[in-house]
Amino acid sequence: MASQQTVRPHAQGALRRTVDGSAGEWIGLGVRLALAVVWGWAGLAKISDPAEAAQAVRAYEILPESLVKPVGWGLPFLELALALLLLLGLGTRIVAIVSAVLLLAFIAGIASAWARGISIDCGCFGGGGAVDESKTEYLQEVLRDTGFLLLAAWLIYRPRTKFSADAWLAS
Amino acid sequence: MSEKNREGKRTARERMMQERAAEEARSRRNRKLVVGGVVVAVIAAAVVTGVVVQNERSKPETPVAAPQGAIGDKSLVLPAGPANAPSVLTVYEDPRCPACGTFERTFSPTIDQLQDQGKLYSNVHVVSFIDRSLGGNGSKYGANALACAQDAGHFRDYHDVLYRNQPDETDDSFGDKQTLIALSKQVPGLDTPAFEACVNDNKYAGWVSAVQQDFDKSSYKSTPTVLLNGTPIYPKKGDEQISPENLVKWVDEANAGKPLGTTGPNGQSPAPTSTAAESNTPPSP
Repeated sequence: MASQQTVRPHAQGALRRTVDGSAGEWIGLGVRLALAVVWGWAGLAKISDPAEAAQAVRAYEILPESLVKPVGWGLPFLELALALLLLLGLGTRIVAIVSAVLLLAFIAGIASAWARGISIDCGCFGGGGAVDESKTEYLQEVLRDTGFLLLAAWLIYRPRTKFSADAWLAS
Repeated sequence: MSEKNREGKRTARERMMQERAAEEARSRRNRKLVVGGVVVAVIAAAVVTGVVVQNERSKPETPVAAPQGAIGDKSLVLPAGPANAPSVLTVYEDPRCPACGTFERTFSPTIDQLQDQGKLYSNVHVVSFIDRSLGGNGSKYGANALACAQDAGHFRDYHDVLYRNQPDETDDSFGDKQTLIALSKQVPGLDTPAFEACVNDNKYAGWVSAVQQDFDKSSYKSTPTVLLNGTPIYPKKGDEQISPENLVKWVDEANAGKPLGTTGPNGQSPAPTSTAAESNTPPSP
């Protein structure tokens, strides 16, 4: 009888240890690589045509003209840098924080365009610029970025992941 | 004595362990700082590289090679019709844009006629942004071919042929240079080795990009954008819907009392003389 009472807390503790420990690190690896793919894809899609990248930024009508090109040109490389760091698992928490800030900025930008009633493509994965009103997809774009934000949030919460430079440096 | 000694040993051991713990904490902190520094450095280096590389790649905004007879600031505009006609039609259109095709198929006979009567000349901005959303090269290669036709003195006719043979927006057949060359055979005298080389080498790629960047910076967001003497007339001028009849009427109204330009079938305007190109500044609302 007495031993039965101790089984539950004991098992819970074991489960918790697994999630926090090894299993959590495996989940973290998946999350990290998924976010790396997102940034890599987003960055590569914006690199081939600098004028298009600049126009995607300009279309939001938020930044002054003097910042349109630096942002349009620098952003894809920033995204690629984040992809690379996530792939390596180096500075995972910092990279996840930067990712989250960036995603929040994107969500704010899209929401702002939506609220102001201008018709643009978010230019999230290449393309961008003004589109026909019937072709805007603000809700999908915001939901998608929110999903990515959850990935970043997981990594801020649990930055320790399998096969990461961080783990290797700590050993 | 032995009691004291044991105590001393314990404190020495404790001190050693504390020091070791402190050292470990210090090295953990240092490692974090180094990793953080590396992360910031990688990001900063990437962004700076990006801005520099893309800046280099988007040159020149003023094209080194513009087709012959291109007019306006930076030579980004292709003229058609008699340059001394009293009215000017400014058109922004993308070779791949279906609405431009519809517009051209409906209006190009009327526009050509107005030009040949000396009533109107056109300033055409050949933009190329459909490739961005749909992928492919049809807008850019088509625009380049139009610039090549301008060089050869057949811009207007080739322009009309392209829009008459426009594929579906999603079908990138203008991205095939052989299609563009095959269509040039419909314009007598256009299909020469020089024209084919110009199309195949994408000779005016830089100019095409500059024209598009100029459009990006304008306040116009869609094609076709059509202005008569600076006033938007597509799809409506004020409350009046555009139609071939209305276009003729509007041009005649604007031309009232003004001398006509050089008449005659004049598809290609001669080398620009004193004509000022339409400026890109949008009309004030």
